[in-house]
Amino acid sequence: MKQQTGARNLRLIGGGLVLAALIAVAAVLWLAPGTLPFLRIDTTWRTMQANGVWRVGMDPSFPPFETLDDAGQIVGFDVALADAIAAPWGVQVELVPIGFDSLLDALQAGKVDSVLSALPYDERLTKDVAYSAPYFEAGIFLAVRTDSMITETAALANGTIGVEWGSMGDMVGRRLQKATPSLQLKPFDTPTAAITALVDERAVDAILIDHVTLRIAQVQGAPLRTIGPVLESNPFVVAMPVRAHELQAAVAERLLALQNQGVIVDLEATHFQGAP
Amino acid sequence: MKIRWLGQFLRQIIERPRRRLVIRTGLLLVALIVISWGGWQLWRTYRDTVPLGPQQSVVTSNPKIGVHTRLTDEVEPWKIKQTLAMVREMGAPWIVEYFPWAYAEPSPGRYDWSHHDLVIDHATRQGLTVIARLGFVPEWARPKDSTPLYLDEEHFPDFANFAAAFVKRYAGKVHYVIIWNEPNLSLEWGYQPVSPAKYVAMLRTVYPAIKAANPEIQVLAGALAPTLAPPGSPDGMNDLTFLQAMYDAGAAPYFDLLAIHAYGWYSEPDEAPAADVVNFRRSELLRDLMVQNGDGAKGAMITEGGWNDHPRWTRAVRPGQRIAYTLRAYELAQQEWPWLQAVCLWAFRYPWDAKSYQDYYTFVRTDFEPKPIYLEVQRYAAGGTP
Repeated sequence: MKQQTGARNLRLIGGGLVLAALIAVAAVLWLAPGTLPFLRIDTTWRTMQANGVWRVGMDPSFPPFETLDDAGQIVGFDVALADAIAAPWGVQVELVPIGFDSLLDALQAGKVDSVLSALPYDERLTKDVAYSAPYFEAGIFLAVRTDSMITETAALANGTIGVEWGSMGDMVGRRLQKATPSLQLKPFDTPTAAITALVDERAVDAILIDHVTLRIAQVQGAPLRTIGPVLESNPFVVAMPVRAHELQAAVAERLLALQNQGVIVDLEATHFQGAP
Repeated sequence: MKIRWLGQFLRQIIERPRRRLVIRTGLLLVALIVISWGGWQLWRTYRDTVPLGPQQSVVTSNPKIGVHTRLTDEVEPWKIKQTLAMVREMGAPWIVEYFPWAYAEPSPGRYDWSHHDLVIDHATRQGLTVIARLGFVPEWARPKDSTPLYLDEEHFPDFANFAAAFVKRYAGKVHYVIIWNEPNLSLEWGYQPVSPAKYVAMLRTVYPAIKAANPEIQVLAGALAPTLAPPGSPDGMNDLTFLQAMYDAGAAPYFDLLAIHAYGWYSEPDEAPAADVVNFRRSELLRDLMVQNGDGAKGAMITEGGWNDHPRWTRAVRPGQRIAYTLRAYELAQQEWPWLQAVCLWAFRYPWDAKSYQDYYTFVRTDFEPKPIYLEVQRYAAGGTP
């Protein structure tokens, strides 16, 4: 009788332990997907390997990141970056032109494997798509001439900052002005006019400018440097399916390598040189 | 006998310390649950209650300034109040807001006005004049797998009932309603081929119901998308063609004002109108059609429109141009268009970032930080030069 009870207890304890383990695994998968990747299969990555193709969605309307050349081919920084990322994978990059607002729909519908198209990070969509680390910060920076003695924002308390009237830089400028009323803002019709006022006319002490325009100007020879951190962030990222954990890891590894090797800076130099 | 047994039973329970402990613990737990639930409900009520505040009025140098707000999906009351307060502080007396039928009448005849009440109460307290756009069909009034923009003629009376209930409820608070939106686009017509005659049939059903419920209400029709769609296009119909076809189908007695959508795309507001061009002054061509059809005594309102300053959208302008064009558009309407009552530009603020060109239509960011265009309109409305 005692033996029977003991055996029953053992069975109960064993069953309980198995059940607890199953609940624990389910909880981990549910609460922190990706922590047990060996339990899932990345069909995106497997299909890419099987077909030898990485389908990348792009809206070719944003030079110098992506645009159409005279022959109707998609060219630009993002195209070169996609090629550089995929170089060691043994797959061909297939560019799929899609309107900007439909890029993530196409990704979720499986029409493309990734989106690489000067795409801003959107924290609201992180349940639907997986984002890489930023490969380009397109936000607003404070920039001065390379020969300027100004090294920090505080030094501009009594200075004049040039902005493109109505732009995000203007908005950030008005924000700074609220905190430091002695700071003067000088509006210009275009960002180019603001750069000219800083570099050639020395009519302002600094400019607030988006990093795309700034990098293009720098690459094209304007003696400009940034001071301080980004004041209004707008990072460009690669978007991938949530379940494509192998692809996500591969892209992360490649972006880090390209960053460390200076390839991304080189690509900027190449593709921003001829930008309008 | 039974009572005696029950008494013994209760005595046993009370006399047994363990059972007594269980009962007391149980009672305590129940009490805790009840108190917690009550507290939670009280806290929720407190959290969700935002006082309307004192009655405000709009101070402006241009009484035609308006914006299309987008509070349909804004769930937090303080954000609704903040949005509308900022509209007033900008110097805009008019707002257009969308009041979805599906939200208010989830099942036939059963109304939930809570969100609509919130928006209208706060708007009127801020001294704003509300132009209510009605549409968005509940599931029960359309076929399965259709979009909320699809409405069969057999359900026009249901829509009329909702519209009548709406204007009756908000009598004295809402004076203008727009019937449907952009019926000349297939997308906005439930992906059916567009039909001016069917839209007029809708007006013919809804207009009398609204007037019967509240004779003071002014009914706006049209709200046509400015488009150069060629004849037979599956996407839609040219707005000028559509408006003429509306008149041909007998629309005139079934609306009081024309709602106009006036987008400038990449051209300045003074660019001359032409039938083959979409620009701000295309509004004048719609007005001409009204006059030609003997409807010149009626007024009109721009219920959508404006410019976009997205850096990569092909129909966008530079941010500074957007400011200059917007101020000029308000001024143009005030100085030169006596037939136009309001210019409500798209869109004051979104509840969340669209992360697309749409974000570059707004006046205020989702976090309520005013964009330069907001501050410039505010300066103009305070008497500054356009």
